[in-house]
Amino acid sequence: MANAIKIILRADDSILCGEIAREPALEPILKTESLWKVYRSGKVDVAALRGVDVRVLPGEFVCIMGPSGCGKSTLLHVIGGLARATRGRVLLDGNDLTAMSDAERTLLRRHKVGFVFQKFNLLPTLDARHNIALAQHIHGNGFDPHRFDVVVDLLGLRQRLHHRPSELSGGEQQRVAIARAIVTEPKILLADEPTGNLDTKSSEGVLSLLRGLNKDLGQTVVMITHNPDAATYGTRVLHMRDGLVVNGSALH
Amino acid sequence: MILRNILHRPARTLITVIGIAVEVTLVILVVGLTTGLLTESAKRTEGVGADIMVQPPSASIWAAFSGAPMPIRIAGKLKKLNYVQAVAPVLVQFNSVNGLDIVYGIQPDTFSGVSGGFVFHAGHGLEAPDDILVDDVYARAKDVRVGQTLHILGHDFHVAGVVEHGKGARLFVLMSTLQQMSGAIDKASIFFIKCDRSDHTPAAMDEIRQLLPGYEIRPLKDFISLMTSSNLPGLSAFISVMIGIAVAIGFLVVFLSMYTTIIERTREIGVLKSLGASKSYIVEIVLSETMLLCILGSGFGVGLSFLMRWVFVTAFPSMTILILPRWVMFSGMIALAGGLLGASYPAWIASRKDPVEALVYE
Repeated sequence: MANAIKIILRADDSILCGEIAREPALEPILKTESLWKVYRSGKVDVAALRGVDVRVLPGEFVCIMGPSGCGKSTLLHVIGGLARATRGRVLLDGNDLTAMSDAERTLLRRHKVGFVFQKFNLLPTLDARHNIALAQHIHGNGFDPHRFDVVVDLLGLRQRLHHRPSELSGGEQQRVAIARAIVTEPKILLADEPTGNLDTKSSEGVLSLLRGLNKDLGQTVVMITHNPDAATYGTRVLHMRDGLVVNGSALH
Repeated sequence: MILRNILHRPARTLITVIGIAVEVTLVILVVGLTTGLLTESAKRTEGVGADIMVQPPSASIWAAFSGAPMPIRIAGKLKKLNYVQAVAPVLVQFNSVNGLDIVYGIQPDTFSGVSGGFVFHAGHGLEAPDDILVDDVYARAKDVRVGQTLHILGHDFHVAGVVEHGKGARLFVLMSTLQQMSGAIDKASIFFIKCDRSDHTPAAMDEIRQLLPGYEIRPLKDFISLMTSSNLPGLSAFISVMIGIAVAIGFLVVFLSMYTTIIERTREIGVLKSLGASKSYIVEIVLSETMLLCILGSGFGVGLSFLMRWVFVTAFPSMTILILPRWVMFSGMIALAGGLLGASYPAWIASRKDPVEALVYE
């Protein structure tokens, strides 16, 4: 963090007093405190998250890595409000998800969270245009043509708007999914293995897009990946194992 | 999105629409058939030309179910009353061999005195004991000509003439013949009475009530208004049962269709929830699709009703099916109600799906 240095000089230029003022610390846009998520599998309780503490500041691009079954996707679902935590707290943009009802979490998700999934999850009956516009419709403010155009042009989808998902390549589908996720200007973009179903070239394209959204537009991104190369696109990496964050490191 | 979802599975949509159409057609045709039957029967009874109809106590308004318990000599007493110009006793029999028909046993002279006589298309009146007159509708429907033999009520009759329709029944034989066949010697089912003036009808009815207390005395003017399903309790129940069956068909068709739809679109529901769609949004989508299917099905059903009516009337010219506008509307409302009811449980299930489980559903 940048420090501000304030020095008061005497008339003879000797120092009367000085102080170093620190800029106020940024509030994390996402914060979890001793987060637990336990699933019941038959008669056995399975703890997918075992006391996870995570902080994400605005404008960060955090990559979460770990082996299969370590709880990455579960963490994403809980912090995105799709699943309810068993214990602990999740604060998203100052809102405590763990104290919210299902309807309240739905409302929060509608306005503050954008999701991108590994399998794109576009609606097959709608073309690209309507898949993107659907998010605006659900958001409740109706179709915003200006914002729609900005997002479509940013993601290079102008020529593909009238094509259905089955007529788009994997990379194009994921770009449509990203467009759908950001068209409502969410506070945080949660990406669950966004390149998992893509070839190398398409993966690079999507990751570059996400990095561009983060760097140029300040979009906060949390991305799950098991690909170390993909993780280099972020500003910070967190490693998970057995439901815990084991270490983290800043990349940029 | 609603329209696209429906068009996405054209075969399932078509089957659902057809199912709802069948429901609508069933209601329209059942009501149309019963109303047509009643109305047509009432018209023909009115067409006898009488002012009053006398039946035994507690007799059904539907003459087809009349017995023959009245002594024919009552006609003489009725003829002597003030305001009575002519009396025609009629013996009614219901024939169920080679079709369903009402047969009138008449005395040609008294019947002519009330009805004004038959208008002949071919042949002549009843002369021999085995003579039978058929109306033109019956003749066309059964391809009957003068001179042919008709097997009615277990007896061979000789077709003596073809007459204009609209005078009570479609088949007429001599009363004496019918009395012999049915063992109802000197009995009649109905007395048709013609007044000297139609405005004397109420007064004549009062006199008849004094002469024959407890007997069913009905004016034939506006007889059609009396021939409603509410005056025939069994018919009301029948219509209600058929409507119930139709609603059940619509309910089940829509329930199964929407249930399989939401199962198939589980992941889509998860996606909508991840975008922040509320439970009511999900329910609204399912019910909106259902409404559109019901509207399409109702429209198709109305068209199918007209087509089926044409088929039935072409095959059975003596059949009357009335497609009533208010029943067309009512059947559409029934289809919509049944459909929305059928879709409500699938809609509820869809709204309550866990988004995480839905998103990973294959």
